[in-house]
Amino acid sequence: MLERILTKQFRDSLKATFKDIQQQQDIRDEKEFAKDEQRIKEQLLDTVDPFPQDVVFDEDFLVGAVDGSGNDGLALLDDVRVHLFSTACVILSTNTQSSEPFTPLDDTRIEECLGSSQPHLETFWYTGVKDDARRKMAEYIDYISSVSDPLEIVMPFFRDFTRGEIDSWNDLKDSKYAKYLSRLESIQNLISRVNLTNSTIHDQLRTISEYAAARKILDSSIRPKYLLLDGAMSVFIHHIRNYPSMPSGFLLREMCTRARKEGVILCAVSKTHTIPFAHRIAQMAADVFGETSKWFCQLPGSEDPGGGLHITQSRTYIPPMLAVPYLFSFSRDNRPSRIDFDRIWWLENIFVENDPIATRENEKALFRELEYMSRDARWYGYPVPLAVAHEQCKISYQDIRLAREICWDVRQEMGMDERRMEPQRTDFNL
Amino acid sequence: MMTLDKDNLGELYGRVGVGDQSMLGLMGRNQDISVGEIFMIYSEREGHERVFFFRVLGLQNYLRQVDDIGRIASTLMVEGDSYLSGIDRNKLLSIDGKMLGYAERDAGGDWVFRSPRRLPDHLAEVYRPVPGTSDDAVRDMLASQTGGEVFLGDLQVGEETLDVPVHIPAEFLPMHVGIFGATGSGKSNLMMVLIKSIIDNNMDRLSGESAGRFNVSAFCIDPHDEFAQGVDTYGIQDIVETMDAKTRQEVLGDFYYLTTHLQAAPREVRRYGKELRILWEEIKPQDLYSIMDFTGQMYAFIDMVYSRARGDWIAEILDMDDDPDGTPKGTLRAVQRRLRFVDRSPIFIRSGNSVLGDIFESMETGRILVVNTSLMSDMEQFLLTTVVTRTLSDLRKALKSSGNLGDFDTQAGMRLPSSFFKKVRERARAFYGFGGASDSASVKDPRSLPVLLVTVEEAPSILNPELMRGQSVFKDISRQGRKFNIGLLVISQQVSVLDNVILSQMNTEINLRLGNEREIKACIENASVNISGFQNEFRVMSRGEALVTASYRELPLPVRVPLFDNVFEKDKARYKKKVSGTAAEKHTL
Repeated sequence: MLERILTKQFRDSLKATFKDIQQQQDIRDEKEFAKDEQRIKEQLLDTVDPFPQDVVFDEDFLVGAVDGSGNDGLALLDDVRVHLFSTACVILSTNTQSSEPFTPLDDTRIEECLGSSQPHLETFWYTGVKDDARRKMAEYIDYISSVSDPLEIVMPFFRDFTRGEIDSWNDLKDSKYAKYLSRLESIQNLISRVNLTNSTIHDQLRTISEYAAARKILDSSIRPKYLLLDGAMSVFIHHIRNYPSMPSGFLLREMCTRARKEGVILCAVSKTHTIPFAHRIAQMAADVFGETSKWFCQLPGSEDPGGGLHITQSRTYIPPMLAVPYLFSFSRDNRPSRIDFDRIWWLENIFVENDPIATRENEKALFRELEYMSRDARWYGYPVPLAVAHEQCKISYQDIRLAREICWDVRQEMGMDERRMEPQRTDFNL
Repeated sequence: MMTLDKDNLGELYGRVGVGDQSMLGLMGRNQDISVGEIFMIYSEREGHERVFFFRVLGLQNYLRQVDDIGRIASTLMVEGDSYLSGIDRNKLLSIDGKMLGYAERDAGGDWVFRSPRRLPDHLAEVYRPVPGTSDDAVRDMLASQTGGEVFLGDLQVGEETLDVPVHIPAEFLPMHVGIFGATGSGKSNLMMVLIKSIIDNNMDRLSGESAGRFNVSAFCIDPHDEFAQGVDTYGIQDIVETMDAKTRQEVLGDFYYLTTHLQAAPREVRRYGKELRILWEEIKPQDLYSIMDFTGQMYAFIDMVYSRARGDWIAEILDMDDDPDGTPKGTLRAVQRRLRFVDRSPIFIRSGNSVLGDIFESMETGRILVVNTSLMSDMEQFLLTTVVTRTLSDLRKALKSSGNLGDFDTQAGMRLPSSFFKKVRERARAFYGFGGASDSASVKDPRSLPVLLVTVEEAPSILNPELMRGQSVFKDISRQGRKFNIGLLVISQQVSVLDNVILSQMNTEINLRLGNEREIKACIENASVNISGFQNEFRVMSRGEALVTASYRELPLPVRVPLFDNVFEKDKARYKKKVSGTAAEKHTL
């Protein structure tokens, strides 16, 4: 293959691809972005006013973070697949009064409060037998989320989505969703996506594992001011039924409801994202505020004053349903990151109707605290609680290799047929 | 099997990481560790309880969860408002070092120490010794490595010391001791501590408190005249004066201080001093051959004169005006030039009273002699050392070659200048004979007599390869001294220039701070146990710190030699008690 990759022909092929992208997409995006430029510069973009280095808060607060990792091929026994999931919950205290910012809470205390030591490992398996994946996923979700009644996780979505018009099961019966009631009564039926590939199953269960871990923090006696999740608050909606196509969507909304109830600010941070023209917004911020500025920029949706951005109009996933995304940069050395907030919380706590100045003040106060939690020299510009959670939960190639060896060991210990675990062919690797 | 209480090892510091039976890597807490510290590794593999001793040779900061420390450091610099959250628990030290060996209990439950030939268990716990906590356990485990009669100092574990005294067994002194250290490394203080330890040993033997087998005598060259009165506050004189008269007489005899000009000595020292005088007739050609170069013609000429004139050989040569017949022209003048320092010396005298007999008596009765050589030339000092060493050696050799006192007379008469032997004959017979004073009375084995320790100062001047190739008395003693219980205490700033014969015969090395890389390398190569990798340690040694290696021990021992003033203050009271025992060598004249 290498001889092909090194040919001029391959280079020409790449040139043609990039030319196509430029002509078909970039030019169109440029035009759309040009329409947004003025608005972004004057209304949506603003600086963060950082706390001084030696700030001492009147009241220090806790910040929680959850991250997860996993592998969809811990073991393959014919058509039985074993997945591995890890999650890590961390709680850090701002601790400005002791001049030791963001000291992690003692592991023992976290274990006491959450009921399990961190990081946490789980395995999951399913077979190629028809509908087995769906059934096993439901069992796993039931187990990991400790959901006693599916309605408990279903209703928060409808309440938020309909802004309270549907508040109960009876309301649901009288709504356009009445015909789907039976599909909403069991977790297995909440999995309405048709094509469940191994990768889809893995991603769904990994997200759910993280949400379940976050719910444990919300249910615990720890009362963090912020709870940070890794990723976006995207919910994929079934295009016919008009509700989430997977249980994770329901669980996210249920978690948002709990967070609001507990007074916890829930945020989802993505350092890798697909927000178009983020680099141009970053350049704009550098031009307006200076190279070293720390800034944020809301990415409004159609419901927001002034409506959505032209550049995101044809991208239906931005902003996500029931979420408010922002771009932010606290470090000149990195690409801007994205952060999503629960829209219901945002409307209640940040947005002030007809008062953009008050809204901006609220935003600045919010990002000021987020910036303060993003100054760790190891991950400068990225919230340290999430970075610590990531460090704790990540499963490296070495880890997974070792985990597989232990799988092998355990099967031998149990007297099982080890040949089932052997790779199909060891003479070449396709 | 008794199980060790791990709490007594010190504080739990870290865990074993990677390595093999000779070099290990540890991961430990972020503490103020220094190169040279000793850790103990508790291991229990297959039920074998062992404590491995590990010496720190290198340290590196290690931050868990950080792959690129340079990036972190630069971020902290560039982003002035940055911090490191919860970093303290992730700050570790990665420590490299050398396995020194391990202690384990033998079948009888006693601790034995073994060379590093095993590896501690996976992730074994590492303990950092804590003074006041670990002392007893370490003392027990290292008893076989630290025991003996002659105290050197306390076991050093980094910058601290444990209450684990390190000794040299008197029985190994005849296998020669080297003290190597640059100027300012603490050689003088070490010598004073050694002299005090020898006095303590002899005193304990006299009082019956010591189970040691030997009295030790020492002929100690003091090139700066500081031993008697001390470097700071106290000196050997203070020990002498603290003793009651009986103890002093028993332990030190009538004198301990020898000097060229007694009148120049302080009055209190003078009372216990004698003037150094050696008669020309007590010098043998071999003594001079040991300290300076002669040509073949000169050897032939001297030997010819000596065979004829015997004890008068020096006087005869110095009185000659012309080369005798058959002697190549110029030989006489050349020899006379070489003997001129003898002629001019106030120590070496043509006639008068010699102290050589008194030196012999002191040495054979287990005494110490401090010899002030500060007013002597180098050659005078070397000749004095040589004459004393050779005389003591000849007498012990004669003894070793004899079956009874009659034989001894014959053997000693053949070896020693006759005038000298006549003077010491009776005393020698009293020391060496037992079961009567007749010629048929048996003689003692030299190895049952006091250990005679002779210091050779500025050793490279006489223990260099050129002189050692010839008829040096030191070559014989270095090879055969142990048979006669005579040991050399070789003191040198350099190791690299010493002759290999002497280095290979040396079985105890007290390595102080050395001057340069060449000496460090030579010292490591010469050590009786493997101390490769200790280069960095030598580079950071402070005054008074030593690494003691010995062929009869598996463990290279880091030792801090205490200040003489401190040990004297500590032990002052013990010199006041009266010696009442009868365990000492008793000689009847």
